[in-house]
Amino acid sequence: MARMTPAISIRGVTKRYGSVTAVNGVDLEIEEGQVYALLGPNGAGKTTLIEILEGYRRRDAGEVSVLGMDPADGSLDFRSRIGIVQQEQGSVDQFTARELVNAWAAAYPNSMEPEAVLDLVGLTDHADRRGAKFSGGQKRRLDLALGVVGNPDLLFLDEPTTGFDAAARRQSWGVVRSLNEQGRTILLTTHYLDEAEALADRIGIIAEGRLIIEGTVWDLRRELNAATRISWRPADSSLDLGGLPGEWERSDSGRLSLATQAPTRLLSELLNWADARGLDELPELWVRSPSLEDMYLELIGALEEPDADHGAST
Amino acid sequence: MSTAAPPGSRSTSALAVQDSLTRTLRLAGVQLRLNLKATLREPQALFFLVAFPVLFLIIFGAVFTWDVDEASGVQGRQYVSAGILASSMFGTSFMNLAIGIVSQREEGWLKRLGGAPVPKMSYFLAQIGAAFTITVAQTIVMVALGIAAFGFQTPDAGQWLTLIWVLLLGVASGCAMGIAITRVIPTVRAAPAVVNLPYILLQFISGVFFPFHDLPDALQVIASAFPLRWLAQGLRSVFLPDDFRFVEASGSWDLHWVAVGLGVWIVVGLALAVRTFRWDQSG
Repeated sequence: MARMTPAISIRGVTKRYGSVTAVNGVDLEIEEGQVYALLGPNGAGKTTLIEILEGYRRRDAGEVSVLGMDPADGSLDFRSRIGIVQQEQGSVDQFTARELVNAWAAAYPNSMEPEAVLDLVGLTDHADRRGAKFSGGQKRRLDLALGVVGNPDLLFLDEPTTGFDAAARRQSWGVVRSLNEQGRTILLTTHYLDEAEALADRIGIIAEGRLIIEGTVWDLRRELNAATRISWRPADSSLDLGGLPGEWERSDSGRLSLATQAPTRLLSELLNWADARGLDELPELWVRSPSLEDMYLELIGALEEPDADHGAST
Repeated sequence: MSTAAPPGSRSTSALAVQDSLTRTLRLAGVQLRLNLKATLREPQALFFLVAFPVLFLIIFGAVFTWDVDEASGVQGRQYVSAGILASSMFGTSFMNLAIGIVSQREEGWLKRLGGAPVPKMSYFLAQIGAAFTITVAQTIVMVALGIAAFGFQTPDAGQWLTLIWVLLLGVASGCAMGIAITRVIPTVRAAPAVVNLPYILLQFISGVFFPFHDLPDALQVIASAFPLRWLAQGLRSVFLPDDFRFVEASGSWDLHWVAVGLGVWIVVGLALAVRTFRWDQSG
């Protein structure tokens, strides 16, 4: 991929509320056209950081460039090129979806067609119903419609699918992907690890106001030294395991498993061992990479209890 | 609306927003339509906005039967009726607007709107327009009642004209003050308390319930710094006999000072509002 200008480039961004440092010296670069997911526990500083980038909050220190502009200036030019879907978006009870999307479209110099946007988010059939009668999921889709109707170059999605059922989440992932395929940069925060993995080109994890790790899913796996687990169950518990390479744990059900940083070599040794024993099948064999969720929980857990011993599992 | 692109075809060259007067006015119109729709969808609120001052008019009109001035024959009920009309215009613009804006802020409407390229001035103008519409409805009912039952004289052509510009400037100045005060209102629960303090004090010193010319000089000076005094005086010039002008504080209607007193508030208040207004109070 050709190196492009970053859509977002920040350095040393800090925001304090009294004695609490909500965002603590964050550096971050997001390239144009990327989907970037910010993960982190509640209160980690995700929303504060995203609101600094949106222009809602002022930073105490650091440099911020979003689409080449400083969001703190709050210029109309800046706001006409971004789209915002906040985490807790305000009430729209008095108005119909169509009224709102039309009113919002009018504010942008290069807006999308309101009807096309209603269709995109799947509200065409409810366009003349007032917000008060919308379900939580429909309100969220209206939020998305108002965020994108301005045809933004950069879209902020702060927990866009919280409260959705599984089908609605998959559907909105499709919308996010199609918005990204049109060349929009998307900065997403989410609590759902599978959402980040499914949508994001790059992922950043924020905790205690710091960006503690960032990269592609595979970068994260590498950096977190995530161990791959290999497991199988001997058909007969009396099977002689002499000469089996590695320290295998045996569960109550007789399943053997082992976590390793070198799964290819271990697997090859295991197969050689089976071959030498004349076993042509290792029953219930599986090899599993840790899910992003496993890695994430381990990382966050390690931060929250710095004294706990987290070396045991690797 | 400007050129609309289908979602698939995105123009990469971002169009710059022309922060022009026409754009500001056009977006004010869009917001005003939403405001009026919201008002019409809550007809109870509109009903009470009109009924409340009418009730005041009836009660005070019935009680204040003595003469304010024997020479011109102006009775207390006439004087106080003009005052209540002024104070209801001021209440609709200053008080309702301030509380309405704070509740829009608390509901997140302002934050959402502030995320779009909508000029603050468009939002202010839409609020002023909505307050103006409600005030016109109030005024029509109250003037009809005032003429029918509370001794308002029927205005001549020049006085109708005065009523229109006094109403326009009065509402706009009240709105400017209302928008400016939202900066110091922390929550919607605190809003009525914060807003009522100046509103009630000003009613007492601006010639609403008590004749302005009888007030101590110091209170007259303080009241003159705010719109309500000028609004009430302007309305008295419309609905009271012309001879009553000799009773006014300066012995004249001073309509040019009415225009200045209200106009300064519009200019200063809106300038202050644009500088201090925040879409999102959280900082």
